[in-house]
Amino acid sequence: MKKPHISRRTMLKGLGGVTIGLPLLEEMIATNATAAEQKQAPVRAFNVFFGLGIPAPLQTEGFDGVLEPLKPLGDKLLIMRNVDQVRCDKSGINAHFDGATGSFTAEPPDGEAKAGGPSLDQVIRKTHYPNGMPAGMVPTLIGGTFFRRSRVGRYVHSYNFDGTVAARMQEKPRELFERVFGTINVSGEGKSDREKRLRRSVLDSVVDQYKFYAGKNSPLGSLSKTRIADHLDRIREFEQRAYSMQEKDPNAPNLPSRSQIAHGGLADPGGEGIDITLEELTSEWRLMADLYALAIQLDRVRFGALTFLAAGERIRLTGNYKYNGKTVFDFDDAAQHNKSGSAGCSHEWWHQFSVKKKNTQLRAHVHMKMQELAYFLKRLDEPDSMEANGKSILENSLITISTESGDGRHADVKRELSGVFHAITGANGRFKTGQIMDVNAEGIDVYNTMLQSMGASHKLGPEKRKRNQVDSIRA
Amino acid sequence: MKCLTSIAVLLLITGLLLDAGSACAQSSSAGRVQNGLLVLYDFSSESGPIVKDRSGVGRPVDLKIETLKAVRRTAGSIEVRGKVIIRSENGANKVTTAVKQTGEITIEAWLRPAKSDQDGPARIITLSKNGSERNFTLGQDGDKFDVRLRSTKTSTNGIPSVSTPSKSLKTQLTHVVYTRDRTGRTRLYLNGKPRAEKIITGNTGNWNGSYRLALANEHSMDRQWLGAYHLVALYNRDLSPNEVARNFQAGSKASTALAKNRPSPKQVHFETQVAPLLSRHCLECHDSSIKEGELDLSRKLAAFKGGENGPAITAGDLSKSLLWEAVVSDEMPQDKPSLSDEEKQVLKKWITDGATWTIDVIDPVIYSNAGPSANNWVRRLTLPEYIATVKSAVGVDISAEATQILPPDLRADGFSNTAYNLNVDLKHIESYAKLAEIITDRMDVKKFVTRFTKSQSLADKNMIDLIEKMGKLILRGPLEGHEVATYRGISTSVATSGGGFKDAVRFTIEAMLQSPRFIYRIENQQGDGTAWPVSPYELASRISYTVWGAPPDQALMQAADSGDLYDLAEVKKQVERMLKDPRAVDRSTQFISQWLHLSRLENMSPSKEHFPDWNQQLAADMREETLAFFKEIVWKQNRPLSDLMNAQITFSTPRLAKHYNFAVQTPSGKSDAELVRYDLSSIPSRGGLLTQGSVLTMGGDDASMVTRGLFVLNDLLFSEVGDPPPGLDTTPVPTKPGLSHRMTAEKRIADKACGGCHSRFEPLAFGLERFDGLGSYFEKDAHGNDLRQDGKIQFPGAEKPVSYQNTAELMNLLADSDRVGECITRKLTQFALGRPLVAADAPIVKRIHQSAIKQGGTYANLMTAIVLSDLIQKTRTEKTE
Repeated sequence: MKKPHISRRTMLKGLGGVTIGLPLLEEMIATNATAAEQKQAPVRAFNVFFGLGIPAPLQTEGFDGVLEPLKPLGDKLLIMRNVDQVRCDKSGINAHFDGATGSFTAEPPDGEAKAGGPSLDQVIRKTHYPNGMPAGMVPTLIGGTFFRRSRVGRYVHSYNFDGTVAARMQEKPRELFERVFGTINVSGEGKSDREKRLRRSVLDSVVDQYKFYAGKNSPLGSLSKTRIADHLDRIREFEQRAYSMQEKDPNAPNLPSRSQIAHGGLADPGGEGIDITLEELTSEWRLMADLYALAIQLDRVRFGALTFLAAGERIRLTGNYKYNGKTVFDFDDAAQHNKSGSAGCSHEWWHQFSVKKKNTQLRAHVHMKMQELAYFLKRLDEPDSMEANGKSILENSLITISTESGDGRHADVKRELSGVFHAITGANGRFKTGQIMDVNAEGIDVYNTMLQSMGASHKLGPEKRKRNQVDSIRA
Repeated sequence: MKCLTSIAVLLLITGLLLDAGSACAQSSSAGRVQNGLLVLYDFSSESGPIVKDRSGVGRPVDLKIETLKAVRRTAGSIEVRGKVIIRSENGANKVTTAVKQTGEITIEAWLRPAKSDQDGPARIITLSKNGSERNFTLGQDGDKFDVRLRSTKTSTNGIPSVSTPSKSLKTQLTHVVYTRDRTGRTRLYLNGKPRAEKIITGNTGNWNGSYRLALANEHSMDRQWLGAYHLVALYNRDLSPNEVARNFQAGSKASTALAKNRPSPKQVHFETQVAPLLSRHCLECHDSSIKEGELDLSRKLAAFKGGENGPAITAGDLSKSLLWEAVVSDEMPQDKPSLSDEEKQVLKKWITDGATWTIDVIDPVIYSNAGPSANNWVRRLTLPEYIATVKSAVGVDISAEATQILPPDLRADGFSNTAYNLNVDLKHIESYAKLAEIITDRMDVKKFVTRFTKSQSLADKNMIDLIEKMGKLILRGPLEGHEVATYRGISTSVATSGGGFKDAVRFTIEAMLQSPRFIYRIENQQGDGTAWPVSPYELASRISYTVWGAPPDQALMQAADSGDLYDLAEVKKQVERMLKDPRAVDRSTQFISQWLHLSRLENMSPSKEHFPDWNQQLAADMREETLAFFKEIVWKQNRPLSDLMNAQITFSTPRLAKHYNFAVQTPSGKSDAELVRYDLSSIPSRGGLLTQGSVLTMGGDDASMVTRGLFVLNDLLFSEVGDPPPGLDTTPVPTKPGLSHRMTAEKRIADKACGGCHSRFEPLAFGLERFDGLGSYFEKDAHGNDLRQDGKIQFPGAEKPVSYQNTAELMNLLADSDRVGECITRKLTQFALGRPLVAADAPIVKRIHQSAIKQGGTYANLMTAIVLSDLIQKTRTEKTE
């Protein structure tokens, strides 16, 4: 990679590049010191999603196959096979979307931008922080590098209890950086102290009104009040950024340079896919992963989701792919398909998957994805990520990695949403690690078992459903 | 979760159906006033201890006669002869919540006092706890009528009261009406004429929801009233003198028509339980088009007639109902999961109870999947709505900055204004604060306030008056006391910091621009779980944002102030006026842009190899073509919306005309980028939205028949198909010599595994095969294969497909299809509501469509019908704890 990765150390020391006027919040520095004094690591939960899954037959190959890049982290992961998400299928709806929205929720979607229920991270967040996150912390951080965006459920993987997205997707590294580390200058240059004080009283009055409409005397219904309460939380965060910041920090980090790849509508030209090089893709993703990991390391975020490529992603990838210095594959999807447009995208390798074939291209794509996921996970396992209990953030957190489908074909629902790849971390000793396990269970039972182990009383899925504990995953 | 959703849907449909028929049929010209009605007792039952609330609004507040022997019941009246109280079992929360919300009330009674010397006052109608704590009481005080109503400025006993003059009470049948408006102006009418008037200030925010409604006595049983009741009604607003006179003229035995509109429990059971069940489990094989075993369960007559094995349903007789036998034995559905025990019970109850069938055709799209539940999400202003609201409120055009700073609204369920997805991020908060600062920087604050006050005093009286007036404009309705106090706090802070009037106003406006009442469309959603009429100011905002995507103007606010918006005839006039405003055109173009997803064109990136001449200007031209075409048909020519399918004109720039292979017109003085009107009567292959590049490009580079066909199926015919069958490779099949797209499609249709679904949508695109991926017209493809344009279209629900010979005929079929028309109605209604439609909306949407078509089927007709419908006039409430 051309770009050196950003770490907590480089951030705090302000190494390299041009520093910019982004003062650090006091908590950003202080929390680490506080954390050092804490013997117990905080509860954290993140959902990590990758688009276009790992066909179930390839999962059986373990670390000898496409999962190879996860091998160095194998002791800290529980890889689960035969996790069944068939209940997430919604008739008449694109299975990529169903499977993606069902990831981490175990429910079929309830709208193009709405899940059928909350995601794991949000249930855990509400369990452990029912009154909101500590001041200065981003309540939920959602980021990702992806290009297919016809439905929000394809790429957002953190959902509130009412099924709406838990936070806005930050799809550019610079946006994610600002969401986590940015500060707000409420009155700009040249404004008097008096004006700043008055603007603060304006904000106080705004807060009072949001409190009223979120409170017991509000004329609004429960869902609307929740929305207003979310708005109020964002205002409080705004207050924190605007008024509780320190003076400009000489060691302020670099603002990431502007993204060089397509975003927004340009990233998904009518579902036809885009041309992108491996260098462009991984540079963007690794910067995103660095920043997300940094946010966790600095205890600015404890819950959220990170996406590497959307469900049903359509890219025409080119470039030499290496792993451990050796070429694994030369990507050139369009040429290898001998087609342009959507028909020339890597997505088609999944359509063409067959246990009777070598599936060379698909294997290479999945291998690359695992390498990139491992990149993020390693950030949370490096020396900067060591916590007071002697374990890394990776070991202390619940990180759930999943995808949209098992088989990969728009084919048999039973195969497509069965055997969906899952991997979890140990969550500070709560779950087994160092194993590849055939759990042979429904995703909803796996998730509910995970939630119970994380101390949550809320259960995903219908009230009346008979629940089956998956004790085999517990440590 | 699903169980809860079902209950929610049931509640919703029950609430909406209670109002069935009232959507577009209410009239101010005759009969009793119905707008704002909360409870109505017509005493029509001759026996029994219960007096039914027949308002048809919300949950009924029925009353119980606690000593039946003390009354005499006849059809149309009840005479109180001895010691008794007739009261609700629980607090009359429906009344209390509504009056707290509006601050207004009308109490109406047709009655005959037994004698003229009853006092205490003797309680005629009371909403109270005991002799000294009440929300209101209408009583008899000797030879006068007396009303006590509690406000924040009266005692808990409602003192001071208002009374009719001495000797005004007669022991005759009398029409008594008490009205109170938000300002505290109260009036008492006798037999249609005002007999007393008084100002009693304060608001009704301190009313107690636990108080029960009672007739004939106080709850303490020591204020008995004797006499006869013929009618009692309560409204959530003050009726105008004309309306009071109208109710008087209607008489004591006036028809209480709303009660007749209630659906029967059997109807509700069928529409909310049985129709969804049949849709989910049966219609895939037994609808009008597939009709396996000659059985069509989607239509009443066909369903009862049965199939080749005999009658499927025999009302009241399970043993003669083959449908039941097949289901209970798990013989059906074939090769699919059996019905659950609960579902079987639903079916059993339906047949046993007489198999009531109330829908013309069960449309699986509507009934099988309620879709996202129709929850009440508060609506945040979208970006264009925010810009329009700022412009209207304070006269500042903030479009450039707002577009740059505010995060874009994301598309969900086909539109970018879907309320559940309009959440906020930190960036929004920062943007709203920054924009408020920019807006006030740009305002001439002193000039702005001259419309509210001439004084520039920071004194309490002036500032409160200014805040109330300015707030009402900016926040789209009167302010509550706590809001005034909050804003007053800002001006006080300014004053104490040495600031002046201008700063005080400026910072107050900044606060208002960030308040929930500005950023969101705040409405009351508390009630009893049923649909309630919205308040006049809420209605004003609903109308203006629906028609304009902008806040109410002065005329609309005045109509809200005066209560005129309670009259649907007045609402209609307002909509007609508003549709002449350019903002209505802007709003309509937002609709068409989102419906057809025209912003997609900005991001097109077709293969350079196959389309070397493509450039972004062409994409922009295609978008402009569709918008110009839409404006021409909808606004300039005021033609029915169905004409969008086949109108023989279009607008094109010279470069787009060249792309389309038109004979390029280049009128002198026009640049290459300007649109020129083209008459298409000599180009039969073109004409209508589907033949425009903006829509044709949906099929991608390969002009996918699947994608185009699915667009027509989903977005023009509101139908859908299931998932692709097992083992299918959906990789597009490339064309080659001897194999056109059409041939591949026909193979799919002929294939047993694929044809069931593909026959329903691919032929919809056959008529478009001659248009390539970018909308250019060819009669042969790149391999020399002939491209065809004939086909058959199977309209959802129709028994047989219809043939067409060419593109023009397909467009004509679509234009003539009521299904397409209804789909457009559904799309515009969804856009108006900011949420996907659910099964519970179906009856109302049907009425909207029928009303619009009857009026001519134009955009204006449709918009008017939407505004007059219960979907805009009412809101579904949540039961207040």
